[in-house]
Amino acid sequence: MPPPSGLGAGFRIGIELLASLIVGLALGWMADRFLGVRPWGLVVGFFVGAAAGMVNVFREAQGLGRGGPRQGG
Amino acid sequence: MIERIVPLHIGSVDISYTNSALLMTIAVVLITLLLMVGTRRRALVPSRLQSVAELAYEFIAGMVDENIGHEGIEYFPLVFSIFMFVLFGNVLGLIPYSFTFTSHIIVTFALALFVFLLVTLVAFARHGIHFFGFFFPPGAPVFMAPILVPIEIVSYLSRPVSLSIRLFANMMAGHTMMAVFAGFTITLGLFGFFPILINVALFALEVIVTALQAYVFTILTCLYLRDAVHLH
Repeated sequence: MPPPSGLGAGFRIGIELLASLIVGLALGWMADRFLGVRPWGLVVGFFVGAAAGMVNVFREAQGLGRGGPRQGG
Repeated sequence: MIERIVPLHIGSVDISYTNSALLMTIAVVLITLLLMVGTRRRALVPSRLQSVAELAYEFIAGMVDENIGHEGIEYFPLVFSIFMFVLFGNVLGLIPYSFTFTSHIIVTFALALFVFLLVTLVAFARHGIHFFGFFFPPGAPVFMAPILVPIEIVSYLSRPVSLSIRLFANMMAGHTMMAVFAGFTITLGLFGFFPILINVALFALEVIVTALQAYVFTILTCLYLRDAVHLH
């Protein structure tokens, strides 16, 4: 196993933040489009996605000191 | 760039055999050859090829055992296939004039989506309706559920996205960087010697990144499978 690098960890966490935001926005956009609740789907989706990103980052960062990412509920 | 080697259209759907598909085929053939030839002799003192095959096996078997547990060994074939496919895709892409299929997000996203769907199915098959408990953190007050459950669901759904973007972005970034420095070589003329030096260093870095990203993709697959098998 390669040694964990600071840059890699930062990159991983940044992507985690971005991915949740993308999913939240996509879900919100689809709700707008198919349920006709424009613009609230996108608004709520943005905040839920951002919050989920924070949760993911927190979980990822928890595992940093113990070597290797840990995902758990 | 994607090039159509054998153009093939069914209706309006383009299913041409591209250089991306060609590299995937080469990867699969090479993996099969490595394991078939490597394990053919089964010598007590392994040949070089057998050592490589055994090393790959031991590495993934250890990873599966460590991360999923002893019952996780039934997922070993899947995890091993994913690891070898991604690893060979990354490494083959380093050969000049070849093509890195893992540097295209649609390929990595398809892989990640496959892992995601499989993990969800495994969780459902093993835990049935209890699977939904996964979306509510234990010990949280019930009135928080309307906020917590959507966040947990989005967090869960973001797994394939982050998994695919991670692999794709790493492969893409490395190749773009090397292409940019190669471009400097041409524009700098006589002093193009220096970008070449940087590219040599970058190439070494890329070799590490290819193996590392295959490893990361695989270990995250293992961790997701562990979540599905053990649930909390």
